[in-house]
Formats: sequence, structure tokens, C-alpha cells
Amino acid sequence: MSIYDRLFPPKKYTLSNGKEAYQKRSRGPLAALIIIVMTVISVKITGFSMTVLVTGMGRFWTMLGDMFPPNFSYMSDIWKPLFDTIKMSLLGSVIGALVSVPFAVLASTNVVKSRFVVALTRLFLSLVRTLPTLVTALIATYIWGLGTIAGTIAIGVFSFAYIGKILYEEIETVDMGAFEAIEAMGGTKIRAFILAIIPQVLPVFLSQSLFNFEGNVRYAAILGYVGAGGLGLILNEKVGWRQYPEVGMILLALYVTVFIIETLSRYIRKKLV
Amino acid sequence: MIVFENVGKKYPNGFQGLKNVNLKIDQGEFVAIIGLSGAGKSTLLRTINRMHDITEGKLTVDDVDVMTLSGKSLRSFRRKIGMIFQSFNLITRTTVINNVLTAFVPDMSWFRSTFSLYTKEQKLKALECLDKVGILDKAFVRADQLSGGQQQRVALARTLAQNPQIILADEPVASLDPITAKSVMDDFKRINETMNITILINIHHVDLALQYCTRVIGIRAGEIVYDGPAKDVNDQVLQEIYQGAKEEAV
Amino acid sequence: MEERIEKAYEARPKTWVYNCTILAIVVILMIWSATSMETSGTTTDGGKIALNILSGIFHPDTKLLFNLTKQGVPYLLLETICIAFLGTVVGAIISIPFAFLTAQNLVPKPIAFMGRLIVMAIRTIPSLIYGLMFISVTGPGPFAGLLTMSLCSVGMVSKMYTEAIEDLDTKILESLDAEGCTTWQKIRHGILPQLMPNFASTAIYRFDINLRDATVLGLVGAGGIGAPLIFAMNAYRWSEAGAILVGLVVLVLIVEWISTKIRVKLTRG
Repeated sequence: MSIYDRLFPPKKYTLSNGKEAYQKRSRGPLAALIIIVMTVISVKITGFSMTVLVTGMGRFWTMLGDMFPPNFSYMSDIWKPLFDTIKMSLLGSVIGALVSVPFAVLASTNVVKSRFVVALTRLFLSLVRTLPTLVTALIATYIWGLGTIAGTIAIGVFSFAYIGKILYEEIETVDMGAFEAIEAMGGTKIRAFILAIIPQVLPVFLSQSLFNFEGNVRYAAILGYVGAGGLGLILNEKVGWRQYPEVGMILLALYVTVFIIETLSRYIRKKLV
Repeated sequence: MIVFENVGKKYPNGFQGLKNVNLKIDQGEFVAIIGLSGAGKSTLLRTINRMHDITEGKLTVDDVDVMTLSGKSLRSFRRKIGMIFQSFNLITRTTVINNVLTAFVPDMSWFRSTFSLYTKEQKLKALECLDKVGILDKAFVRADQLSGGQQQRVALARTLAQNPQIILADEPVASLDPITAKSVMDDFKRINETMNITILINIHHVDLALQYCTRVIGIRAGEIVYDGPAKDVNDQVLQEIYQGAKEEAV
Repeated sequence: MEERIEKAYEARPKTWVYNCTILAIVVILMIWSATSMETSGTTTDGGKIALNILSGIFHPDTKLLFNLTKQGVPYLLLETICIAFLGTVVGAIISIPFAFLTAQNLVPKPIAFMGRLIVMAIRTIPSLIYGLMFISVTGPGPFAGLLTMSLCSVGMVSKMYTEAIEDLDTKILESLDAEGCTTWQKIRHGILPQLMPNFASTAIYRFDINLRDATVLGLVGAGGIGAPLIFAMNAYRWSEAGAILVGLVVLVLIVEWISTKIRVKLTRG
């Protein structure tokens, strides 16, 4: 941001012995200005109003209150969609993670020398990553019909882009000494990759895949809203019918599931790294 | 003048950190404290500005009994004593000059210190302190971009900005390479000679201690086993400071 | 000599048993997951639909894309940015007390654990449910979306704040102590300078995510670009959906580029 420094030239300090020091102007005021302006615009556009919030917050708590105690007898109907959600995220995460590997390799500057290939792969990964998962899920339901397959594919697509990015960043930070050593011993590039790079990135790859899976379970619960199967489907239904104790039970089941998966995954990830 | 009279320190777990210490250190001395790890070097140093309490005897700094201080009086007492640490203890995520400016914080009004409103004189003083240790050009760089030696110089400048009469340095060069260590020691020596600041330094490197300091205090298992001019330190004295402890350990 | 080598060979760690078990578990899990794969409305001409979608997305409705009224893409994007921005700000502020309450180096373990459970509960409830609940508070519109975003941000942001607090370098406090600082001065000049860049960086990162997730809000009518996008898709108006998607993707990429730059500056100085 040299323009900024030209607009606001650095402040000069002269010491008693004649030496000089220059202090660049702080970006603080600029940042503060941007934040204030953005806040004012946002308040206007979103119609933020404290009075509405204060007067209406009661309804929020009543709704939350209605969910407790949850209707425990409803649990028998939750098992299947709950497992559907877990299965969707599990399969989607694994497929996405596996498919991302070759793309991540193609996007690593230290393995692939062609800058064109690297740039193209990265652009592709970014585009896929920016695509909202909900949109992917909706499109998937048009192509594969309503059901868990659509959800699995949406999750797979998201995982693919997410892991792909993290993986190529990881591959780029790898120590290339071993790779060169194997090439020097007469191994091919692929052999060198398998022997030298994979062992270095594998722990991060696995740990990030698990982390991604954790998040996906939570996200998969939404996908039912567009007909992509899982918990979202019954959640949508029960909210629509205002059966809040049932909604509470679904959320409780999801909470316990996420807690178990997170604890397990954190334990495994700790062992990996 | 720092005076230790029969000072002892017993830790709550019963470990005797210091035993019967008697010392008199005049203003402007450059003292090295040597000894094995765990012998009590750090403890000795930290009792002076009461980062550690003593449990026996009497410790006075410029005729002030350190153990009588508390709260506000302790804080203003500490203003006169600078302290340097092995790990530099800088706020690495902010600029060098901001680190030095923290030296003025205790003397500022609540409002000014909360909003970091330093005066121009304070900024100039900070820059001058940085100039004294030769890193004026790094003043507006973030501290984490500096090398270890440069970071220790920032810490030294921060201490100088405090305008201290005494500087306590706890292993200031232990995490620096030999050449950088020498140049930091040069800084200490210059400050000691030109500004008449008392410097007490804990140090592992005996050769550096002998080369730079005028007086050496050898400590073993909490007891002073040598106290004298650096030029009188010979193999026998070092044997006494280091070897003796080894035998005890065996 | 040879005996020793043989012994060493015998004593080799038998990792293959472990590896095979893991592999078997993964394979079984995969097969188990695949059992529930189902589609109800089987569409035979999926390929044709896919082509339609693609051609629509690649031929976006330029009229909509550059329409400056309230129905046009630019205004919708602005609204989405505002929801995400204010949502992040409010969420980041709510997160601060939560973060301090769940930091294990500050509060006793049981309290930290309780705090963690609550934060996790906040995080687990899907954004859609929050959206529906807030619509009953404020009525449909961007205000509900903003409140939803705030609450959704709390989960992740407070977790990352907690990590920053637990990573604090406390040695600096020792030197401020030796300088003669009071407790408040130690917090202001020893702790805040360490936390500020980290907190700012986290908030910016979350803004990125909120912008990306803002489409979800449209599903329940909580404002932003999501609703028009989903309407367009449900009505098979693919060029319209394409226009909105192009706008969204470009916006997200630009914001991501800028925010990465700022965050690198914040962490590396």
C-alpha cells in the first residue's frame, strides 16, 4: 500500500544528536474509518434495530423453551435419518478427499513445473470452493433425484475443494531434500512422490480429512432442506408443523452425535500429528 | 548501593535457595554471577527487585529495606531497577518502539496509558535509547522480524528508557550465538562505563564473564563461594565454584 | 552376531496388523455408508439437465447482473455483504466473553468445560433453525439474517479466540512486572497487543465464511442473495441463477483475496 504512504508521508523524528527516524503512518485510522462506514451502511440496509430486537427477543426464548423438554419418544423415528446424515457425510468426505489428491498434486508448484497447469488447477479449486454447498446440493437433486445421493455428492464436492486447497499448501511446504535424493538415485518422479512426499503430508491429510468430516456432519443436517436426504428433511417437516418438542429432540440427537464424533476425531487427530 | 546481610531464602517446599549471603555492591560496578544451573544465581538476582521474597536476613538497596515495600512503593522502587531476561520477553506482535515505550507506562496517567498516548518527548527518548544500542533503523519494524541479538538489544533499550540505576540481567546472552553474545556484552560494558549504571549479570560463559566484568561472584548451592575481582579468578577458584558442586552431586 | 540381527528382526514392530485393522474398519464404514444411498425421483435424463444448467451458468443473464435496482445482482450482493459484515461484528463481540470463560489457563477446568459444551451447542444448531427463530423475532428480511449470522459466528470465533488466549506468552508479564506496572497496565500493554492481531484476523476469516454461507439464509427468507438464487433454480431459470452465481463467486473470490492479504499482514507484520 505505497499509495497510502505517499498520501500520508511518514512522520519524521529528529534525535538530539541529529539522527533521524521515519515512522510510517498507522493504518489504524483507515481501518477504523472503513469499519465505521461499513457498519453505518450495514445498519441501514439490514434494518438493524435495537427496539425490535429487545421487544422480539422474548419470542426467541419461548421458541427455544418449547423445544425443552424434547420429546424423547420421537427418537425412534430419528435413528434412520440421523444415520443417513452420518453416512452421507462420511462417504462424501472420503470420496472428496480421495479425488482431491491428484488435483492437489497438480496445484503444487514444487512438484509440477508448468505454471499454467498449476494456475488452472488452482482456479478450478477456488471456483468449486466458492460454489455454495446448498447450490451444489440443489443441482445434484435435479440430476440424481431427491435423496441421499444428492447430499453425498454435494458434500463430496465441498470436501474435494476444501481438502484440495489445504493439501497443495501442505505439499508446497514439504522438505524437498528427500524427493531430490530419490530422483538422484534414479527413481521416477512418481516414485519419488510416493516415497518422499506422501509420508510427510499424510498425517496432515488424514487429520484435515477428519476435521472436514466433523464439519460436514453438521452441514449435512441442513441439506435435507433442498431434498438431499438426512436429518434436514424431518427437521424441515417438524419446524413447518411447529412441533417444537420433536425439533428439540432432533437437535439433541444431532448435538450428542456431533459431540461424540468431535471427541473421537480430536483424539485420533492428536495421535496423528 | 546494594547490601545483603545474612540473607537466606527457603522455598515453600523446603528447598534452601540462598544461604547466609553477605554482599556489598557499589554504584557503577559491573558484576558477574557465575555458578551451575540451580545454584541460586537467578534467585539471588530476583531478590534484589523483589521478584522473589527473602525469608531471612536483610536486603537494602540505596538504604531502602526491600522487604518493607509493597504495592505502590514496590512498583516505584522497581522503576529504578531495569531487568533483562534470557528470552527477551518482548511483545513480538507489535513494533520495536512500542516495546520500548512500555517503559514509560507506569509513570503515565490512567487515561494516557490506556490509549497509548505517548508524548513526543517520550517517543524521542525511546528512539534515543534505541540509538544507544545501535538499532535506530529498526524502530518501526515489528519485533518478531528481528534476530535474537537485535531483540535482546530492544529489551536493553526498553530498560534504558526506564532510566535505571541498576540493571539486573538474567542470562542475557544464553540464547545468542557467540559473536552476537559478545556484541551484546559490549553494549552492557559501554552502558556501565558511560552511564555509571550498576550491572549485575547472571552468566554461564565464564570466559565472557572474566573478559567483561570487573567483579565476579561465584555461587554454589545457594552459598557465595567466591567474591573478588575478575582478574583473580583462576582454575582453582573455578574448580571451587563448579567442581565442588559436582562432587556433592555424586 | 547373526543371532542379534535375527533377534532385532524378530522384535520389529508389527505395524501391519495395526494398519490392516484400520484399513478394514475404513472399508467396512464405507460399505456401511453406501448402503443408504438412495434416490427417489430417478431422473433418467440427468445428463441433459446437467447440460442445461451448465449452459445457463455460462450464459448468465447480463441484464440482471448489471441491473442497479433493488432486484439486481449488485444490490443483492451489497445486502449480502452487509448481513455478513454486521453479523461478523456482532458475533465477534459476543464471542469475547465466551472465549475468556472457556480458556483453561484463566478459569477452573469445570467452568471451561461447561463453557465449551455451551459453545458447542450454539454451534450445533443448524443456521436454518436460527433463521426461522429469528424471523419470528424480527419478521422476514435481512435483520433476521444478520442475527442468524451473529449467532452462527460465535461457535467458531470464540473457539479460535480461546486458542489465542491459551497461547498467550506470559513471560512478557514478568518483564512488565519488573518495570513496575500495575495489573491493568499489564493487561493493556502485555496482553492486548498480543491478542488484537489474532482477534482481528479471526474476525476477517469468519467474514469470509459468513459471506459464503449467506446463501443458506435465503432458504428461510432471512434476506441476502440466497432467496432469489433458489427461486431461480427452482423455476429452472438457469441464466438468472447463472448471473447470481457469477456475481457471488466473483465477490467471494475478491473478498477472499483481500482478506488473505490483510491476514498475512496481521500475522507477519
